[in-house]
Amino acid sequence: MLLILIILLPLLGFAYLGLFGKSLKEPQPGILASALTGISFLLVLWGVLSGGASWQIKDWLPGIPFSLLLDHLSGYMGLVVTGIGFLIHVYAIGYMHGDEGFSRFFAYLNFFIAMMMTLVLAGSYPVMFIGWEGVGLASFLLIGFWYTVKKNADSARKAFITNRIGDLGFLLGMALLYGSFGTLSIPELRSAINGSYVLPMGLSLAGLLLFVGAVGKSAQVPLMVWLPDAMAGPTPVSALIHAATMVTAGVYLIARSSFLYVNLQDVSYIIALVGITTAAYGALSALGQWDIKKIVAYSTISQLGYMFLAVGVGAYWIAIFHVMTHAFYKALLFLASGSVIHSLDGEQDIRKMGGLKKYLPRTNLHGLAGALSLAGFPLLAGFWSKDAIITATLNYPFGGTGFYVAGLTVALLTAIYAMRWYALVFLGEYKGEGRPHESPAVMTVPNDVLALGAVFAGLLALPKPLWNLVEPYLAPALAHVEVHEMSLALEWGLITLSAVVALVGLYLGYAAFTRWALPKWYQTFQTWSEKAFYVDLVYNTLIVNPLKELAVLLDWLDKIFDSGYLLLASSSKWLAEQLSWVQAGYVRVYGALMALGLVVLLVWGVLR
Amino acid sequence: MSYYLLLSALLFAIGLYGVLARRTAILIFMSVELMLNSANLALAAFARGSGNLNGQAMALIVIALAAAEVAVGLGIVVAVFRSRQSTAVDDLAEFRG
Repeated sequence: MLLILIILLPLLGFAYLGLFGKSLKEPQPGILASALTGISFLLVLWGVLSGGASWQIKDWLPGIPFSLLLDHLSGYMGLVVTGIGFLIHVYAIGYMHGDEGFSRFFAYLNFFIAMMMTLVLAGSYPVMFIGWEGVGLASFLLIGFWYTVKKNADSARKAFITNRIGDLGFLLGMALLYGSFGTLSIPELRSAINGSYVLPMGLSLAGLLLFVGAVGKSAQVPLMVWLPDAMAGPTPVSALIHAATMVTAGVYLIARSSFLYVNLQDVSYIIALVGITTAAYGALSALGQWDIKKIVAYSTISQLGYMFLAVGVGAYWIAIFHVMTHAFYKALLFLASGSVIHSLDGEQDIRKMGGLKKYLPRTNLHGLAGALSLAGFPLLAGFWSKDAIITATLNYPFGGTGFYVAGLTVALLTAIYAMRWYALVFLGEYKGEGRPHESPAVMTVPNDVLALGAVFAGLLALPKPLWNLVEPYLAPALAHVEVHEMSLALEWGLITLSAVVALVGLYLGYAAFTRWALPKWYQTFQTWSEKAFYVDLVYNTLIVNPLKELAVLLDWLDKIFDSGYLLLASSSKWLAEQLSWVQAGYVRVYGALMALGLVVLLVWGVLR
Repeated sequence: MSYYLLLSALLFAIGLYGVLARRTAILIFMSVELMLNSANLALAAFARGSGNLNGQAMALIVIALAAAEVAVGLGIVVAVFRSRQSTAVDDLAEFRG
């Protein structure tokens, strides 16, 4: 009962706000939506504290129950989703102030929370798929929230269609699993796979197809193109859906299926490769962006890449740990960006910012905390989780050192672009027009909470010999992976190394973008990076435009087919027009025609 | 026998002429009544000629029907008169093809 309430409350909010939201005065829809999400958070917390729960409808589909499951993994993820979701709901009350679609916005947000919780709490893949599609729909609706601008509507469609490719993978993967095991319930599959000595054929393919779903949802190479465009939506949406929660659903899916992937070394290797490639691509693209939100968006792609690297090398709990710390600092970065955009009346170009430290003292602190946590500044949340990922790659038997070096290099880039973001927005001289003003308390207070998380959340899981609360907590829900223990000296040496890398990156970023004149090769790189290495152009040329041409061709064929029917329709119309004079409208004429008809019939009858 | 039918046909023709030639709805109505009653006359004549009562029964039904028809028809005429201050049928030509 508890579990279904967690989902139903926000869904109820969606239905109510969607139907009657227009009659409510401005802050009310926001307060209602926030309260429902808050209650959901408390329910999840209650469920977690009471040790988990499960709930199901038997025979929802023939042979497939509708099952919900709250165990350690889904409870942990649910707390992140509803907790961060609640803060962002509150923030949005301030951010969306005065918008025409105020209540519509909160209806969509509540819908998103309901669907995301369905995804997280799902005890079987079909239920997860409902949530999976639902969050995709919510994402589509919210990216295109200001749908009167064509660019926004296009971005929404692009996100939806790109996700569709991944969803097909998910669906086919499910079908293969069902074909092999005859069940789609996650606990049953887990015991089936753990209990079988010989894994069925095609399991690798099933794993790979599920991973394709994750690639679409989590914007990994090669399906990453939709995420930067998704920034067309309002900033709270970018923070909630396109940074903190929805895009991590792919990581969650892999971690949920860890019992499967731990047996699929080949697929895991591909996941790790895709992860590190995405991390590098995101970091390189983030360096050259000029839009305050796009920098953060590419950094999200990059950080998601890290998470996939972690699940690829079998460090499942670290990936989930990084999901949480990332949710804190990335939501904080987005909301701080939103606060900046709000104060500059919609300006998003960082070349017209600078020196905002003086005008937005509170937001400056938030931005600094977020950027340092992202950069991996020692002792902050992002440092611990990212360092744990990079260190874990060394334990990976297939080319672990290569992954380690690549991961560390990307960490350096991360520090540089995080500092670039902070330095260009908050330091230096203000270059824009208009007078920036600090945001209201309803926006800064949630950021305070997120900033605390971004600074301290890492303390939940520290390397040995210090305490680690996350790993033992998540262990029952994840697959067990044998880890070769490192010596403490080596481990702390590596931690020091990544701290030094982060500090060097931060210094480089600070110096390069405030003091130095940039060399010529960097200008070339800047252009490439700004265009995200022309991936969009390549996709448009190779895939999108040929498809459009095909559509034009099919339309033409369609017209040929239709022409026959159109001719039929127009000829009967012509006939009707010719005969319409009979309907003169005079009773007398009708009477005369009737009499005439009668006479004709009589004459015919008599003469016959 | 044939005289009855001749009279009936004559009455019917007069009625038809009235329907086609008159301009006010009331008079058209009266003409329609004439046509109905010419049919009644023919039915009664046939009944007598064939020796059973079927035709007379039919005529009674027609009379009852005509009463109902008059009630509806006059109602329409009154409604038309109220809205247009006239009962000239040629004014009512809005449903033109």
